[in-house]
Amino acid sequence: MRINIGPIHPSTHGALKLVAYVDGDTIQKIETHIGFLHRGVEKLMENRIYMQNAAYAEKLDYLAPLSWDDLYVSAVEQATGTQVKEKAQYLRVILLEFQRMASHLLWLGMFCNDIGQSLTMFMWASRERAKIIKLLEDVSGNRMFYMNLRLGGFSRNMPRDFTERAYDLIGYLEQKLAEYPEVLDSNPIFMERTKGVGVLSRKDAIDCGVSGPVLRGSGVSADVRKSKPYYVYDKFKFIAPIRNTGDAYSRYRVRFEEMHQSLGIIKQALDTMPQEGDALGSKIKLRSNDANPAPITVSRELPRGEGMIYMVPGKQGPYRISLRSPVFTNLYALSRMCEGAKFADLFSILGSLDIVLGEVDR
Amino acid sequence: MANEMNTSSRHADAQQHLERLEADASKLTDAHANIMFAKLSDLAKFMAKPMVKWSRTQSLWPMQFDLACCSIELMDLGSSRIDAERKGYFLFRRTPRQTDVMIVAGWVTKAIAPRLKRLYAQMAKPRYVIAYGECATCGGPWWESYNTIQGIDQILPVDVYVAGCPPRPENLFIALMKLQEKISGNVVGNTKRSVSENFRRAEK
Repeated sequence: MRINIGPIHPSTHGALKLVAYVDGDTIQKIETHIGFLHRGVEKLMENRIYMQNAAYAEKLDYLAPLSWDDLYVSAVEQATGTQVKEKAQYLRVILLEFQRMASHLLWLGMFCNDIGQSLTMFMWASRERAKIIKLLEDVSGNRMFYMNLRLGGFSRNMPRDFTERAYDLIGYLEQKLAEYPEVLDSNPIFMERTKGVGVLSRKDAIDCGVSGPVLRGSGVSADVRKSKPYYVYDKFKFIAPIRNTGDAYSRYRVRFEEMHQSLGIIKQALDTMPQEGDALGSKIKLRSNDANPAPITVSRELPRGEGMIYMVPGKQGPYRISLRSPVFTNLYALSRMCEGAKFADLFSILGSLDIVLGEVDR
Repeated sequence: MANEMNTSSRHADAQQHLERLEADASKLTDAHANIMFAKLSDLAKFMAKPMVKWSRTQSLWPMQFDLACCSIELMDLGSSRIDAERKGYFLFRRTPRQTDVMIVAGWVTKAIAPRLKRLYAQMAKPRYVIAYGECATCGGPWWESYNTIQGIDQILPVDVYVAGCPPRPENLFIALMKLQEKISGNVVGNTKRSVSENFRRAEK
């Protein structure tokens, strides 16, 4: 039997159509239909000047906009040969890690919603996320699309009480994260629906080209922050958590431990951040210095995996830009994970991949 | 004789009295019934319209049409910071047949547009549409894109527009209150639903 799911479905987080061929309750094959949100971002980007495109880059991944913004801005920085100020590097690390936590928290809430653990975790996670979003809003001026990165720094300096507020927020989050395992790990419903569900073997994970927490959940140690450290990540002590089982539970554990690691990174960055100097970048001009036309590739560890930009720089705007989305490749692994799984587990598996369709369709 | 007179006159009196009474009674009952029913029907007419309107304003069942960024803010509306359900009328349904407000959150591409129309047709009447965010209002940053529709008012009649990229969840709260005003009729200005003047754009 063939079952149609989507394109508008509350668990697909966007417009995604799945066609499942089932025998009884067992999925034999699954087809993924994407492209419902395609709007031609790459083409639009080629017709703009460099710093206009940061707005498009942010709208790719609307759960962690700052990460894509940073990826795009650092590609432009590499093309124009701009050095990032030291204080700005520390601040970027702090904001990016906060953004990663906000993204993981929303994922956790939505994942629990999908697997039928109803609203408790969703309410808790969005309560914590609201605090992080409030800090990022006060820093940048916008609630969701921050647009505060400029070449070499930020659009404005941080507020005076930024460090104290960040320390307070870390304390708050540490306290609240400690409560989570009570409703997750010791909850039989959650464990039943995640343990042993959607197993992706180590070989399959490498073959499919998945990255980020999905890859690390399958026992492969891969993190761009470790392998190709950018900004000041090499100065901090942290680990990229790994789990070997490769099921939905291990992906949850990897993300959960990553949140603790992010807190550690933020704390170290706040401790060692230089106090003097500003973090201002250059202002956006209608005509700035011409970029070097040599093609560049930049990769960053986004909350969902390894994002990459290949750009052939033009003088004032990208001549050709290609975006590598981690979610696109992670979604490819869905068909392998669903083979032989129960139909009721489909949304547990799909939810554990942490998909964002805006990034897949581009 | 006197007795006879008395009895006859009494009889006549009684007859007359009876006739008068009957006439009165019939008049009275008619009149009474008329007054009663007239007032009830008047009352019903007087009451029904606001009652129906009031009940419509208080039972807005929105349908989630989550497409993109704005749906995250839509989630925030239902989550712990704002918790729209405390107003009592805001409960998301996932099937169009149980809903009367469609909140379109996100850009509408050419692939999604026919599905949007079909879902709108499946909704129960009377139905209302809220265009949430810039993309649904006018196309937003994807104005120049070859694959998006520049505002959902080209394919659906829209009641309330919410501007912003993305609008804060509080804005959606206000938009829902505006929609309530519009349904109840207590609104200043144009109450018509807006449809794009230039339909050609949709056929591009």
